[in-house]
Amino acid sequence: MELSQAVIDSLSIVGDSAHVPNKCYQRLLDAAFDGVVDSEQRNRISGDEAFGGVDKAALKEAYAGLVSCIIEATKHDTEAASLEAVLEDCKFTADRIKAFISSYQERKQILQILLGNVGVTPPHIVDVDWRLDYYIKNNHLEKVNQAVYLISLKTEVPGKPGIQDVQFSCTQEQLQDFVGKLKDATKCLEKISASQ
Amino acid sequence: MLLIFDDKHKEHLSFLTDTETDVVREFCKISMEFIRKGSNRKIYQGAAQKLKVDVETVQHGVEGLMYLLTECSKLMLNEIDFQDSILTLGFSEDMRQTLLELYLQNRREIRAIMSEMAMDLPHYQNLEWRFDVQLASRSLRRQTTPVVTFKLHIDDAGERETKVLQTDPVNLVHLTKVLDEALQEMKSPYCRRIARNIK
Repeated sequence: MELSQAVIDSLSIVGDSAHVPNKCYQRLLDAAFDGVVDSEQRNRISGDEAFGGVDKAALKEAYAGLVSCIIEATKHDTEAASLEAVLEDCKFTADRIKAFISSYQERKQILQILLGNVGVTPPHIVDVDWRLDYYIKNNHLEKVNQAVYLISLKTEVPGKPGIQDVQFSCTQEQLQDFVGKLKDATKCLEKISASQ
Repeated sequence: MLLIFDDKHKEHLSFLTDTETDVVREFCKISMEFIRKGSNRKIYQGAAQKLKVDVETVQHGVEGLMYLLTECSKLMLNEIDFQDSILTLGFSEDMRQTLLELYLQNRREIRAIMSEMAMDLPHYQNLEWRFDVQLASRSLRRQTTPVVTFKLHIDDAGERETKVLQTDPVNLVHLTKVLDEALQEMKSPYCRRIARNIK
């Protein structure tokens, strides 16, 4: 993990107990981690009276430094030891380093899931709805008499709220073909996971 | 089920009752050609000259035959119903046999042509899949995320559309299971009973 000088400077403010007193540190740390995980928590420090004695500009910079450090560390899956070295350079005390690392390890998994969802991917199938009809006749033809399935694939699209539908119809043979191919794909995955 | 002809239709077909079976065969060939590709007046004129009758008579004969063939095919009349239906048209026994033979020969094709005309929903055509493991992205390095990517081909009234979709192994297993259940449902006693009773 490499941090820019600006981030190192900001982190040094967090490490400096003249700017961030001991009693505020844990609160600031929690606010930074919660802010990364939950977008609704992002403004929490601005109205928090616990930071009354802290200079607003320094507090803002400290918060930004922590958030950058958390995200960079998560992104590179940084080991505790190298994280420790970075924080030591920023004049963090052993207690502050320990608190940071335990919060980091506790939330690393969820942070990585969140970061993994950032980016461009095709619509991701999460569920499927189906309906079975028996097609009897139309205005040109009587006695059509065949099964028709209406399939609706439920997909999540990055950056779009809610579920998007992909709909199509298929006959029994076409669904057989579709399911056959899905089974092939499933089998392929099972083979790969079994061989590892 | 019997097909009921109105008087005008009977009159149009009456011209054919006095001709040879070869003429009926030829007319049927023309009718099938027109059902496939649309009508062509030039052919009426040629036939009218050959048979020494009005162009209109030929046109009515062909159109009457086209109507007879399409209506019977539309209703999917069986052999007996077809024979009973044309009984009132005044054709000889030989001619009726010829018509029946021509009807049975062409029914499948006529139904295929008519089913193309019918309203259709966008339907499944093909599925391609591949399996990837995502290793890194701008926002997250050191990943091992299995991804199944699909290319779904959908046919919407002759227009091909492809959609790129993806899923993960857990959802793939779920998707396969749910759709397999859908497939089995058609084989259930309930669905089979309904299908059997709709004839």
